[in-house]
Amino acid sequence: MKALLPTLLLLIAGTNLFAQEKAAPQPLPAVKPATEGKVWGALIFATNDASQLLGSQEKAPAHLGPLNDRLAKVFAFKHFEILGQHQQDIFREYESWVVPSRDLFLKIDSNGPADNGGVKLHLQVWRDQQVLVKSDAVLRPGSPLFIGGPKWKDGRLIFVLLLERK
Amino acid sequence: MKPPSEDHDLIRWLDGEMNDTELAAFEARLKDDPVLAKEADDLRALSAGIRDHLPAEMKVPHADFFNSQIQVRIAQMDLDEIRQKQTGATSLADSFLAWMRKPWFATAGAVALAVLGLVWMRPHTQDTAHSLILSSYTPGLGVEASTYHDNEADATVLMLDGLEEVPADRKISGISVHRSETEPEIAATTLFDAAGSPLLVISRDAVGHPLFLTNTPRG
Amino acid sequence: MPSSASTDPGEVSDIDLVKRSQAGDTRAFDTLVTKYRGRIYAMTYHLIQNETEAWDLAQEAFIKAWRALPNFKQDAAFYTWLYRIAHNVTYDWLRKKKVQGDGEFDDERTEHRVAAGAEATPKGDATPDTAMRNAELGQRIQEAIARLSPEHRQVIILREVEGLAYEEIAALVPCSLGTVMSRLFYARKKLQEQLKDVYETTL
Repeated sequence: MKALLPTLLLLIAGTNLFAQEKAAPQPLPAVKPATEGKVWGALIFATNDASQLLGSQEKAPAHLGPLNDRLAKVFAFKHFEILGQHQQDIFREYESWVVPSRDLFLKIDSNGPADNGGVKLHLQVWRDQQVLVKSDAVLRPGSPLFIGGPKWKDGRLIFVLLLERK
Repeated sequence: MKPPSEDHDLIRWLDGEMNDTELAAFEARLKDDPVLAKEADDLRALSAGIRDHLPAEMKVPHADFFNSQIQVRIAQMDLDEIRQKQTGATSLADSFLAWMRKPWFATAGAVALAVLGLVWMRPHTQDTAHSLILSSYTPGLGVEASTYHDNEADATVLMLDGLEEVPADRKISGISVHRSETEPEIAATTLFDAAGSPLLVISRDAVGHPLFLTNTPRG
Repeated sequence: MPSSASTDPGEVSDIDLVKRSQAGDTRAFDTLVTKYRGRIYAMTYHLIQNETEAWDLAQEAFIKAWRALPNFKQDAAFYTWLYRIAHNVTYDWLRKKKVQGDGEFDDERTEHRVAAGAEATPKGDATPDTAMRNAELGQRIQEAIARLSPEHRQVIILREVEGLAYEEIAALVPCSLGTVMSRLFYARKKLQEQLKDVYETTL
């Protein structure tokens, strides 16, 4: 029964939203929850075999600089492809989800601001219904976090998380 | 109430703090004194009850969080220490400049300042401007997390090793989320694409696992 | 003095973990925290009788231990040393409460509450009736201990829960042996009064 309630609520919320999918974009809520900043998260596929690339056209934010070059310094692959990306508010009181893919995604809880414009976070990396790692971290603007995830095909899935400058 | 010496005898007997001679003498007294014997029995039962019901070890509520908070505070202390050292260096410079304003100290001061300047220009060995992983926990069997800062990539790395591979025939697909709306009352977040259309609703089930609702079939 | 918990053959020893922690390895220290948090929390909980405060104080004890680690000489067992720190942290907290005058040291006050959710490490199976009676009795004992003054509560916990000898209690509190004995005696008398329907037999 406990499991049923959120499912029902979710279905109601989802039904309403998807019923309006073709209509005008949703207005922002009148009162936005307090936030600690914004993060950009991306799921990257790294491989040496160009034929395995999916042909995604996703681009990283320009201010991140040459992301592929930076990734190549850490992960020994030739090709890096952004499969999905998500810019997300970090809510002060509520959990935030960073979901560039339903296959690998993050849950974030704020632990408050840190020095140098940073934010203290509790991160959880999820793969489907399984939590891969729980971490306490301090993210600082412009300093990305590269999370080396599971192997896939001949390459590896990588999660990139970046705190955006205010 | 009994005289203190007798009080002490009783509890010393109870707590096993008597030597053999004292023990023999006290046990002889117990045989002769039913009131003392009753009190001794009652106290012994009470002690046993306390020991049974006050565990020497208890489950710590939110044990993972307990540990991670300690790690966070340790990291914070390290940062504070670095900051204090930096502040200390600045104060030293201020007082040094005050000395320099004295005419007789000008020449020596200028030389010393040059030396100090060289010290300042040395790069900090511990740069705190980058992101940090303070602690990690990997619930999966055989999964290990390691972290370091890669200076060349200018990125903080959290490497997860020992994860189960994603099957090669599984299609991994991404989405592009441009904004989200959260509804705290039902703990649900709706993710929207660039055109403002909803992509996904994400919430959690009763055991805290993520729950997705999407209008497109899974890849 | 309480000594370290029994270790599995494959387990890294406290000495190794302490050495690595002293070298700045926070993961090694995390292992020590995991190993001893249950015992330290039990001690702070029994003394404070408040889940939240006990949790915070146990954490404070580990933080203090981390800071003091460079001075730890390995001439005592790590747990004994940690226990001493935790005890001092908790007792300092109780002293501050006394200074703030909220009546914590007043034996006559009875509004200490035992956290309903306080969870003991399970000791084994029992029938539902026995388990319930046991739980009720446990609750009453905890409430009775909560009504003791901190000094009396302290010696009872050190003696009955931690199994410390009088000399060890005297060194830890610190006080004379005579004071230890007096406090233990009067603490037990007070507990007996409160629990006389359970632990008092008739002649």
